[in-house]
Amino acid sequence: MSSDVRFTDFKSDKQPTWCPGCGDFGTMNGMMKALANTGNDPDNTFVVAGIGCSGKIGTYMHSYALHGVHGRALPVGTGVKMARPDIEVMVAGGDGDGYSIGAGHFVHAVRRNVDMTYCVMDNRIYGLTKGQASPTSRSDFETSTTPEGPKQPPVNPLALALASGASFIAQSFSSDAMRHAEIVQKAIEHDGFGFVNVFSPCVTFNDVDTYDYFRDSLVDLQEDEEHDPTDYEAAKEVILDADKEYQGVMYQDENSVPYHEQHGVTEDMSEIPDGAPEDAMDLVREFY
Amino acid sequence: MGGKAHHNMAEDLNWAVGGEAGDGIDSTGKIFAQALARAGRHVFTSKDFASRIRGGYTAYKIRTSVDKVQSVVDRLDILVALTQRTIDENLDELHEGSAIIYDGERSWEAEIPDEMTAVDVPLKSLAEEAGGAIMRNIVALGAACEITGFDVEYLDEALEKRFGGKGSKIVENNKAAARAGQEYVRENYDLDHLGYNIETTDNDYVLLNGNEAIGMGALAAGCRFYAGYPITPATSIMEYLTERIEDYGGHVVQAEDELSAINMSLGAARAGARSMTATSGAGVDLMTETFGLVATSETPLVIADVQRSGPSTGMPTKQEQGDLNMALYGGHGEVPRFVVAPTSITECFWKTVEAFNLAEKYQTPVFLISDLAMSVTEQTFPPEAFDMDEVEIDRGKLVDEDEVDEWLDSQGRFRAHAVTDDGVSPRAIPGTTDAAHMSTGLEHDELGRRTEEEDERVHQVDKRNRKVETARAEEDWDYREFGDADADNLIISWGSNEGALVEALDYLEADGIDVRVISVPYIFPRPDLTEEIEAADDTIVVECNATGQFADVIEHDVLTRVKRINKYTGVRFKADELADDITEKLSEEVPA
Repeated sequence: MSSDVRFTDFKSDKQPTWCPGCGDFGTMNGMMKALANTGNDPDNTFVVAGIGCSGKIGTYMHSYALHGVHGRALPVGTGVKMARPDIEVMVAGGDGDGYSIGAGHFVHAVRRNVDMTYCVMDNRIYGLTKGQASPTSRSDFETSTTPEGPKQPPVNPLALALASGASFIAQSFSSDAMRHAEIVQKAIEHDGFGFVNVFSPCVTFNDVDTYDYFRDSLVDLQEDEEHDPTDYEAAKEVILDADKEYQGVMYQDENSVPYHEQHGVTEDMSEIPDGAPEDAMDLVREFY
Repeated sequence: MGGKAHHNMAEDLNWAVGGEAGDGIDSTGKIFAQALARAGRHVFTSKDFASRIRGGYTAYKIRTSVDKVQSVVDRLDILVALTQRTIDENLDELHEGSAIIYDGERSWEAEIPDEMTAVDVPLKSLAEEAGGAIMRNIVALGAACEITGFDVEYLDEALEKRFGGKGSKIVENNKAAARAGQEYVRENYDLDHLGYNIETTDNDYVLLNGNEAIGMGALAAGCRFYAGYPITPATSIMEYLTERIEDYGGHVVQAEDELSAINMSLGAARAGARSMTATSGAGVDLMTETFGLVATSETPLVIADVQRSGPSTGMPTKQEQGDLNMALYGGHGEVPRFVVAPTSITECFWKTVEAFNLAEKYQTPVFLISDLAMSVTEQTFPPEAFDMDEVEIDRGKLVDEDEVDEWLDSQGRFRAHAVTDDGVSPRAIPGTTDAAHMSTGLEHDELGRRTEEEDERVHQVDKRNRKVETARAEEDWDYREFGDADADNLIISWGSNEGALVEALDYLEADGIDVRVISVPYIFPRPDLTEEIEAADDTIVVECNATGQFADVIEHDVLTRVKRINKYTGVRFKADELADDITEKLSEEVPA
């Protein structure tokens, strides 16, 4: 790892096709800054993304990356990190990718506590398919497939993470660039699964959860309040608070033991001998 | 059925223990099988079982001979019956020379046909005298030793292996229990007229099943990562690796579902590990979602499908070769792949090694197709059958930092999907300096970035397909051959039917029928059988499915019709039964 890496080193020469003003620009910039600030470089970083507007991030960033199938980014990241503990793994996704088609993987990735970072670009809408309800859309949010609104409560991803045994839960806002980058950096530095739900407004299809809405309503846990993220009860309170939306680190388990420590998975699995292992005939002799 | 005892091609003995699931049937059978292997005898085992933890009939069957045995036959000589149902389920296989060991003190009244020899042994009482009723099956093994003239000492090592961890007292009690069974039969019965006498040799064999062979092959090949979701009959691959892979710095993860399992394996493979997942057909259904991504991102991955009876939940503990079409054609779009189907337990080992090499050399997913019959069958082999010095590792075009330069474009970007003559691109794994790149399931350019440009699309599709053509030209896709190469009758099979076919040859030969057997381990690419089929008067394709999936493929390849033998009862082919089926099929007209 070189010390002179700048966040622009993580930028590819491909121009994003996100709509002008899309929250994903800010989300990505913050991720790149956080990666550079934590001493990573493109050659030791692996970015995994799923499907949706968020999924395009691997193309616009410069690093090792895989743009996979819808909803399965977390398992891919898990495999990368287990095989290569030396690689920094950053998983990106959207609210549909992470909380709908990939919700099952989210629960189990949280439980496993693999030492990687998961940034969900939550715009509360399906943007790439042109404006259908997402799992985080409000219950009265009218869309082409829900003309009267979904009429079901939105998923609270932070609560889902908490219930699944998360060791790091945070929320940020793509437009608050400094805070967002800081929060992602904390997630990267966390010893375990660092989860950040990033409000990343869709300027084209969501006229409710807008920049103005978040600017006006967001309460910063560390700046506006004196929230202690290591206090589980306090974390529970803000996560389950239905009246306010917060940004900041809600919860961080100081005693988090990441998967690789729990299971002793520390080797670089890419290196293998030229033939069978030296003692391989012992494997055969076991069957006597 | 009366003739069965005389139709004894390999001087074999067929033994079984059966009872309720949960009665310790498996471990009892395995102890006897290991004892036979210690005595230098070959063993081929099969299991009848139901998908539940306790309750329901289950049996462990052993065919043993001093010669190699590789099939079950329709004959049972000695049966340890813990329930009446065990007897009833096997009436067709029992004959007038059969001996049935049972416990007359148990509550059920044994109904045993008069012509058979009933050997009533107070299994439970003798076990209690030896230290505990739990050892009643071991008492039965001792009784079986006496009937077959088999030295009870051969059981000792197997008992030590099974019970050694529980302390020497338990081991000694079990040895005493076996001897109690032996002595009881010696004192109360004169069974010399049955004529069973187990010959021993100086050989010493290993005993393993197909899933263990796949797991061992993976370790030999350098597999370091496995993610899977439990499913019958594939789980024992995962269990085998779980206990051993960490010795080599690897890891096994139990994923939350098969969708996750294949994606984790894919991630590990992109990170540079030799990686695999294994499942059965129902799991392949889910994994198919990611299959196209594996191929399009050109990621080396081995996916084992241990087939069971389908569709849907089907008969989950029963045999079938029903997934061939799925392996060949599964997934939307056109997905390049290799499909390899080992034909025996040793081949489960060698083809697994080969699958890892194919995957890495061609950066393509490899389906390794086995089946339930092979997964539960334990068979003896000389240890040299798995000679680890013969294992070769070929990682293909894996490039290191010094080689990266050759593959950079004019702007210094790594061409991970470079269009090459052989279709294979350089592969750089994370951490390789200056080779950072992305890949994707979207159609992409040489850099791995999305494109819908017509020429790029065509170049990439052609390149991926060209890898298969390169492999077709450079690798060995031969079939295995048995019987009389000049025979007019040609039998073609794929996967695990090989053993039953090879043994069926003996029966057919005894009836004066010459047959050439071609056993095909490569489904795609596969050998061209045009000449072989044209040279034969009659061609029969044998497989464990209803519609003849491989026969369809062969007919398509060769543009001719073939005869078919299909079995889809959920039970594997048996050598003697298969010989009868072939004789009958040869007399039929070729389909129009």
